[in-house]
Amino acid sequence: MSDAKFVVIDGNELSFEPGETILEAARRAEIEIPTLCYDDRLTPAGACRICLVEVDGAPLMQPACATRATAEMVVRTNTQRVDRNRKFILSLHLADTIQDREIAEDNNPSRVHELAETYGTAGEWTSVVSPRQGRPQDTNRFIEFRADRCIACSLCTRYCNEVEAVSAITLAYRGAHTTIATADDQSLTDTTCELCGGCVDVCPTGAMTEKQALEWGKPERELEKVRSTCNFCGVGCQVDLNVDREANRVVKVTSPPPGTTVNDGNLCVKGRFANDFIHHPDRLTEPLVRDNGELRPATWDEALDRVATGLAGVKERHGNDALAFISSSRCTKEENYLMQKLARAAFQTHNVHQCAAT
Amino acid sequence: MLPKKARREEVFEQLESAGGLQPGNVGKVHRETGVPAADIFGVATFYSLLAEPDAGVRVCTGLTCKLAGADRLLADLETEGTPATSYSCLGRCDMAPASWDPEGDPATTEPAFSPSHPDFAIDLLAAETDTYSALRLVHDKGAEWALDEVEASGLTGRGGAGFPAHIKWRAVRGQEVTERYIVLNADEGEPGTFKDREVILRRPHLVIEGLAIAARCLEAQDIYAYVRGEFGQVKASLMAALDEARARGELDDDVRWHFVDGHGAYICGEETALLEALEGKRGMPRMKPPYPVEVGFRGKPTLIQNVESIACIPAILERGGEWFKQAGRTEPGSKLYCLSGHVERPGVYEAPMGITLRELLEQAGGVTGTIKAFSPGGASSGFLPADQIDLPMDFKSLREAGSMLGSAGVVVLNDTTDMVEAALTQAVFFEDESCGQCSPCRIGTQIVRQALERYRGGDGDALAFIREVAWGMREASICGLGQAASLPLTSAMKYFPQEFGDDNE
Ligand SMILES: Cc1cc2nc3c(=O)[nH]c(=O)nc-3n(C[C@H](O)[C@H](O)[C@H](O)COP(=O)(O)O)c2cc1C
Ligand code: SF4
Ligand code: SF4
Ligand code: SF4
Ligand code: FES
Repeated sequence: MSDAKFVVIDGNELSFEPGETILEAARRAEIEIPTLCYDDRLTPAGACRICLVEVDGAPLMQPACATRATAEMVVRTNTQRVDRNRKFILSLHLADTIQDREIAEDNNPSRVHELAETYGTAGEWTSVVSPRQGRPQDTNRFIEFRADRCIACSLCTRYCNEVEAVSAITLAYRGAHTTIATADDQSLTDTTCELCGGCVDVCPTGAMTEKQALEWGKPERELEKVRSTCNFCGVGCQVDLNVDREANRVVKVTSPPPGTTVNDGNLCVKGRFANDFIHHPDRLTEPLVRDNGELRPATWDEALDRVATGLAGVKERHGNDALAFISSSRCTKEENYLMQKLARAAFQTHNVHQCAAT
Repeated sequence: MLPKKARREEVFEQLESAGGLQPGNVGKVHRETGVPAADIFGVATFYSLLAEPDAGVRVCTGLTCKLAGADRLLADLETEGTPATSYSCLGRCDMAPASWDPEGDPATTEPAFSPSHPDFAIDLLAAETDTYSALRLVHDKGAEWALDEVEASGLTGRGGAGFPAHIKWRAVRGQEVTERYIVLNADEGEPGTFKDREVILRRPHLVIEGLAIAARCLEAQDIYAYVRGEFGQVKASLMAALDEARARGELDDDVRWHFVDGHGAYICGEETALLEALEGKRGMPRMKPPYPVEVGFRGKPTLIQNVESIACIPAILERGGEWFKQAGRTEPGSKLYCLSGHVERPGVYEAPMGITLRELLEQAGGVTGTIKAFSPGGASSGFLPADQIDLPMDFKSLREAGSMLGSAGVVVLNDTTDMVEAALTQAVFFEDESCGQCSPCRIGTQIVRQALERYRGGDGDALAFIREVAWGMREASICGLGQAASLPLTSAMKYFPQEFGDDNE
């Protein structure tokens, strides 16, 4: 072996870091290798087998997601054999789950169908109707597991274990019966589950899905994604509000793809699922001011003037330290910054706090 | 309170003593071990003996037992009201139709018919001399000498893969990491195979001595014997031999011995699935590389060797590697062949590697009826037609014939056998025993079984896309189970096209 640190993929000499996989080296060079069970935050499982590539000297094709690049390794992703395997795997998964794309994508997009469109299939095979068990008796309000769509890729269980460090779900049974389960098939809310929804997010098929969005009944692709910042705490997680424009309604919240924002694809239960308030009838949607004990709608100018006058009055009558500023834990970091700025610069007081700061 | 560090390796013991998967047990084992409850559920549901603790008598519905009337036995038990379930090959094909009651007395094994062969390495009928003289030779002459003899012997793995033993021994010995393990693979589960059972029942001291030699040569501190859970008294036989040898001071004191039960999963015979099981996990094979010699049990260098391979070691050292090599005909060594199915005297026959089936059948009193086909090495080897009866039964010849020697579980089929039925029996086995980790095997085995059932039911087109499915299973499965699982069907279609309709030839 020479000192050269490059791997040849489809004729391109690509450098790689020690420990890098074929897939990582290929992706940097924008050589497409399809994957179904891979997520770069998780230990590779090598389970779906769609990423198999030919490696010179190896009699069998190797999983690009789990095979380390080695010096002078020669990899081929554009052969007839590799292509045949991709088509085989896609026909296989379609036969094992839901062949009809409309039905498959009733809520979440289906990566299997997306790849089938890109790479083609080996034909439509008789559906298998596998004996995987779901968890219909699970009473949690947010996450539904639909076993008929599950490709047993274990992304959800690896996420739950490796990212959330919760291990509420597991691969259970074996062979054709392999499914995703909780201990003794309990409701998620009776397990260690934190309802972070990460398992839904990583699921490539919509087997793990959002119950409430499913009830709403519009597929994700018909919703508009509006990027926003979660306002449950100061971390600043980016969220995508999935909006049904016709109904003017936020149907669900998803996280932007891993690697693109500060939260790296993750959210917590509040950011992902606690969004009922958006459309709650009691929610304030305009400024109100009180006249003689009665609230009435006002303009922002009028309302802010009222606040400024009140605060300035207290300061004048009782001094700076008669005032205290408390901001909500639902403000962003930037808003909290502005609040203390207001307290310190405009009112010269250190009486400032935030309700999540204890 | 949960233990500070999860004690995963204890999960099996705890689950077993709690009575398997029953209400409350998952939580109980979770509290005892600190392993997440979901993981325990995942483990308990993976292994047949834990998942269905109350399934009653397990009736083997492997191919040999089916030929011998397993279905009738199952029906009879049901009529008489005895709880019973069909079960994958029990490794008692010489006693077909076999059944096993986990609650009953430890099944007494009727001795399989096995002629004595003093000229061969194991000689099942020899009186146990248990002299441990080979181990003493290693003390005197050193590990390098022993390794050279093993290399000269040409011993290849008898568990199925036929990998040269000395390469693995040297690889482990050459590791920098000093924490090393020896693992005995006594999970014998390949349908048609029951030789390891016989070796341990009849010559347990050969196995103990072989393991002790391996530990000494490889400087390993721990020996793990993973014994098939359905084998009842086999583990006890091994443990008794260890006690005897210890009492007589034959063994090195600094080696720790561990005996671990299998819990009903054929796939745990695959070496990396076995390691997962030892670590208290679901028996899903690992991706290779890295190989166990480098990253094995607990991530440390590990030698995994089949019972028969290990049992050859004492003779190799005593009589010399060259002697062992010469004992084979086309490939090195003597070999245990398991004969079952339509043969007059099923049993374990020790013979020169490369003996033909015709010769073996002569020893076994011939075929019951007229031979039509045979499986040379368990379900995974598919079927060969009767006209291949003069093929040398060795690793290379059978591989070239599109089959394999595997574990040398030879199943003979006579001309009353329906090949569609035979292929279906094997398909059911692989579907039941797939670990379910990778899609080609998990889904492919279902497709193969269902297509065969539809074909049997009169749907002439049912096998139309099976060739493509078989191709993918072979090419894309993670381990040998999925890679071989379509072979019974494709080989039956190849050699018996008339039974599969002309279109599917
Ligand atoms: C699906 C499958 C099942 C296996 N079952 C067994 C078994 O029951 N016993 C065994 O010794 N080897 C079995 N093997 C082979 C082992 O993986 C491994 O090669 C062997 O234990 C190594 O020992 P050896 O070199 O002495 O044969 C199996 C392999 C596969 C792929
Ligand atoms: S919601 Fe989060 S914690 Fe709960 S099962 Fe899914 S990944 Fe695990
Ligand atoms: S639920 Fe989704 S993520 Fe989990 S194994 Fe099934 S397909 Fe994969
Ligand atoms: S080939 Fe079958 S048994 Fe082997 S890893 Fe894949 S699913 Fe498991
Ligand atoms: S992405 Fe590599 S095996 Fe699934």
